[in-house]
Amino acid sequence: MILTATMAALPSAARPFVWLFNALSVLFGADAEALEEAAVLKLVEQARAGDRAARQRLYRQHVQRVFRTVRGMLRSDAEAEDVTQDAMLTALTSLDRYSPRSGTRFAAWLTTIAVNTTRRRFRRRRPELTATGELPEVADPAGDPAADLDVARQRAALLQALTELEPREREIVSLRYGSDLNATEIAAQLRMEPANVRKILERARVRLGERIEALAKSRGAAA
Amino acid sequence: MNDTELRNLWSALEPNGRQRARIETRVFEWLEASETSIAGEWLGLLKVEPLTALAYASVGAVSLLLLTPIGWIAVSLLP
Repeated sequence: MILTATMAALPSAARPFVWLFNALSVLFGADAEALEEAAVLKLVEQARAGDRAARQRLYRQHVQRVFRTVRGMLRSDAEAEDVTQDAMLTALTSLDRYSPRSGTRFAAWLTTIAVNTTRRRFRRRRPELTATGELPEVADPAGDPAADLDVARQRAALLQALTELEPREREIVSLRYGSDLNATEIAAQLRMEPANVRKILERARVRLGERIEALAKSRGAAA
Repeated sequence: MNDTELRNLWSALEPNGRQRARIETRVFEWLEASETSIAGEWLGLLKVEPLTALAYASVGAVSLLLLTPIGWIAVSLLP
């Protein structure tokens, strides 16, 4: 959407460069531009009909959302990679089962698959969140080292704060902030009352905020 | 912290470039493999690597020629 707005403001001579930049960004794995639900549904239809490019766009639209959602519930990046891979495979090979007529957004349907995949993993081996999470194994060569360090600190603080929540609270905040689901969608997934979800969400949000701020202060004092 | 701040903070949990590439490779390799039939793989091999396909076919033929008499002998030795 940002790109579309930028395109409208640019002189027509510059547009091919923007398209080129966009194509290279997709090629090298940069964030895909967020699509409206209607455009996502169109991609689903095309992917169902065997269009591989549509399937790949659908994948790129949602893979980061799945990863950041399950990462908050699991103990390591490696587990989150495995669960993301399994969830995306299940979704892409079961597109026929998705029905937008039931009022479920595609992202919510995909998140249900991701949460079920995570729970299966929990059943096999009950993991505990590590206190600090994992820092990236190797710095991203294309990234800015200072920004990478900042993100690594934020991620460590968030993962640390998440360890102090109850499993159900962790699941709810991950669905809210990782997958951007609303309380009604979360309630439908977890078979709870929306009012109950809102109550837990509010409590968890306050606790997370306080803990993260306390961690930031203690790090600031130590530095 | 409000909703927006937490949502922004959650982006710190996103996969890095290497992780994204690793997941994507595994997902699409699996999809590719599950959609390619064995016959299709053989036809692809004939098209792309005719010499390798010829080598495989030759080894198969020689194996059949050698193993058939060995099989007869083994059967005749059985009580």
